[in-house]
Amino acid sequence: MKARSSWRWNAVRGDYESGDPPPLRGTGEIAAIEAFSNRTILLLGCSGFVGKVFLAMVLDRFPELKHLVVQVRRKKTLSGEQRFYSEVLKAPPLRQIVDRIGGEQLVRAKVQVVEGDLDQPLCGIPVDQIDQLKVDIVVNIAGVVDFDPPVNESVEPNVYGTQHLIELVQLLNARLVHVSTAYVAGKKNGHISEDTAIEGYFPLRGEPGEVRRFSVSEELSWYTQFVKETRESRDSNPRPVRERLREGGMNRAESWGWTNTYTYTKSMGEQLIASTAGLTYAIVRPAIVESSMRFPFPGWNEGFTTSAPLVLMGGEGVKNWPVRKDGPLEIIPVDLVAEGILIVTAAVLCGKHKRVYHLASADENPIMLPRLVAFLGMNSRYKHKHKKSGSKLANVWKAYVETQVITVETLQARRTRLRRGLDVIHAALTLGKTLLGAQRVSPYLKSLRDTRRQIRQQEITLDKFLPFMFHNSFIFETRNIREAVTKLANDDLTRLKWDPETIDWADYWVNIHTKGIEKWIRPVFVSQRKTGS
Amino acid sequence: MNKAAFYDLDGTLLSCNLVTMHAYYARNDRSPLKSIYQFSKVLVSVPLLFGLDLYSRSLFNVFSFRAYRGMHRDRLIGLADDLFEVTLKPSIFPQAQALIETTKELGYRNVLVTGTLDFHIRPIALHFGIDEVICNRLEFRKHVATGRVLPPLLAENEKARSIREYAVQENIDLAQSCAFSDSTSDVPMLSVVGQPVATNPSRRLRRVALQKGWPILELRESVSKFPPFLRPAKVL
Repeated sequence: MKARSSWRWNAVRGDYESGDPPPLRGTGEIAAIEAFSNRTILLLGCSGFVGKVFLAMVLDRFPELKHLVVQVRRKKTLSGEQRFYSEVLKAPPLRQIVDRIGGEQLVRAKVQVVEGDLDQPLCGIPVDQIDQLKVDIVVNIAGVVDFDPPVNESVEPNVYGTQHLIELVQLLNARLVHVSTAYVAGKKNGHISEDTAIEGYFPLRGEPGEVRRFSVSEELSWYTQFVKETRESRDSNPRPVRERLREGGMNRAESWGWTNTYTYTKSMGEQLIASTAGLTYAIVRPAIVESSMRFPFPGWNEGFTTSAPLVLMGGEGVKNWPVRKDGPLEIIPVDLVAEGILIVTAAVLCGKHKRVYHLASADENPIMLPRLVAFLGMNSRYKHKHKKSGSKLANVWKAYVETQVITVETLQARRTRLRRGLDVIHAALTLGKTLLGAQRVSPYLKSLRDTRRQIRQQEITLDKFLPFMFHNSFIFETRNIREAVTKLANDDLTRLKWDPETIDWADYWVNIHTKGIEKWIRPVFVSQRKTGS
Repeated sequence: MNKAAFYDLDGTLLSCNLVTMHAYYARNDRSPLKSIYQFSKVLVSVPLLFGLDLYSRSLFNVFSFRAYRGMHRDRLIGLADDLFEVTLKPSIFPQAQALIETTKELGYRNVLVTGTLDFHIRPIALHFGIDEVICNRLEFRKHVATGRVLPPLLAENEKARSIREYAVQENIDLAQSCAFSDSTSDVPMLSVVGQPVATNPSRRLRRVALQKGWPILELRESVSKFPPFLRPAKVL
C-alpha cells in the first residue's frame, strides 16, 4: 500500500517532517559499479539467511559483475551444483529475482558453482580448480550461528574453517571480506568501538585485576585436549558427551567474558585473520540480523538465531520480559546487512577500506527494549482475541493482560513461585490418581507435563537472550560504514543504501518483522516442535 | 491517459466512523481501569460529535482527532490490525468488494481518498487490494500524538484539491474517472470527476444527486445495481 503524502516520518525525532530529503552525494573514492565491473567474486555461504539475500542483491543490482563463483557444500546425495540450482535459487528471496534478471540461463552464464566445505583444507576446493579460478575477492558469509552447540561444532567451522579460508585466499592471491558478528565484543556495556585491537582481544581484558593474555593457539590446544578427554571419559562418566562438550564451550567462553560459544569462536576466527601478515581484509560485524525491510520483499526471514524465538514466545502469550528499561536491542534488517557487505566489498576492491565495519542501528536510531515488549503484548492481544482453539479463559488472559518489563530477580522469583504451584497441582493430581483411578486423572497429568515442558523450553530460550536484553547494553558504533557511504560514487548511491536512521521501527516491527516471522518462521518452528527436533 | 476510481471510506465502503474507532482504543487501553476512564470520555463526547458532524465534517474531524492526544504512535500502529478485525471488517458493506473489483477490472486505478488516519487505512487497503491511499496523518511529538492533524486536513474542498493534484502527477484523465461517496461534505470531491456516484447517499446527498443527475448506488444491500458505466460491455 502506498500512502501519498508530503510528510516523511523522522524515526529519530519521532515526528513528521515535510519536504524532500536532500539528494545523496558521494565523493566517488569508492566506485562500486566500476569496482564490480570485470571482477570476480568468490562467495562462501550463499545458502544461509544473509548469503541468499546477498547473492540476490549482487545479481539484481550489479549486472556489470563479470563473474561470480559460489561455493556450495554437498548435502548427502545432492552435489553442490545440484543444491545451488534446486535449493538456493528456488528459495523465496531468489526465485523472483532470478526471473526478473532473465532466468536461470543468465545465472548459469554468470555464476560458477564449486563444491567445497569449510571444514576441509582450502575449504574443500581442489588445488587444480583453484588455479583456474581468477578470483579478485572472497566474501565469506559462512559460519555456524548456534549460540551454544557442543564446542567442536562451533570451533571446527568458525576457527578451523577460517584458517582454511585464509589459506584459500592466500593461494588465490585475493582480498577478503569476512562476515563475523558485532557480539564478538562479549559482555560489555555502552558504545563499542570499531577501532579496538582484534588480535589478543578478550572481553575481560583491561578489567581491574585481569592479567591473563588471550592467544588462539593456546585456546586450540585447550580445545583439542578438552575434546579428547571428554570423549575418552565416555565410559567413566555417564553424562552425554555432547552435553559436556556444550557446557565446556560455554564455560570457557564465559571465563574470558564472551556471552556464548558462538561469539567466542567467531572472535578467534577474526583474530586468525588479523594475525595473518600480508592479507588485505575487512571484517564485517552485523548485530542481530532480522527480517528484510525492502529487498527482495519486505518481511523475508529464515533466521532462527534472530529475535524470532522471542517474537514467537510473545505471540504465545508470555507476559513478563526481563529487559533493560534504558537499553536498545541491536537489530538490523538483512537487506541492509547485504548492502553493507556490498559497500565494504567495493571499498576493499578500491583499497579504501577500514579493518572493521559494524552493521547496526542503535547508534543512530535505537529501538528501545520496552517498546519491543509493548509490541509483543499487542501482537499477543491480537492473536488471542481471534484465536478459536485452546482454553477460552487462557485466551482472554493472554488477550487482555499486557506484557510487563521486569528485572531478572523478579523473573527468578516468579519462576520459583510457578514451579511451586505446579508442584502442588502435581501432588494433588497424584493423590487424585490414587483415589479416583488413573483413567480419570491421567489426561490432566499429561497436560501438566506438557505445560511444564513448554515453560522449561521458554525459560531456556529467554535465558539465551538475557546477555543481549538485560545483563548488557550495547551500542555498536557504525562510523566506518557511514564514512564508506559518503565515499561512494553518485551512481552507486542509486543502487546501494545504508539508512538505518530512516527505519520506522513501529511499522517495521508490527507490519514487516512480526508478520514475516509468522509467515516464514512459525510453520518451520511448529513442524520442528511436532517432530521433536 | 489513465483513469481512476476515487473512493471515500466512512459510510461509502463500510459503516464505521471515527467514534467507533475511538471507542475501540478506549476499550483496549493498557489496563482495565484506564479502559473504563477512556471509554466514559468517548461516551460523553458522542452527542457533541454527532451535532458537529451535522454542522461541518471538517470541524467534526478536528474535534474527534483530539481524542488521540497523548497516545503513543506504537500503540496506534500495533493495534491497527485488531481494530480492523473487531470494528471495521464486520461493517464492510456487502457489495463494497465487488464494486472495487469491478472498477479494477474496467481499468480504473483504485484510490482511497479519506479523512481516516494512515494507520487505520493500512489493513483496510490490504483487505480491499487498494494500492493508493490519500489520507490524514496525526501530528506527533517524540512519538506521542498531539491531537492535531498534519495540514492540510483532508475533507471537503481539500479532497477535491488533492484529487486534482494526484491527477496531474499520475497523468489521470478526471473526465474519464469516477468517484464514490455517501456524504454532502464530499460534493466537491464528486464534482471533480466525470462520473460521480452517490453511494449509500444521505438524504441531503440524494437530493443533490437527483438535481445533478448523478447515479445513485446502494452497497448496503446484498444485490445492487451498478451504474451503466460500470457494467462491462456485453460480448455480442
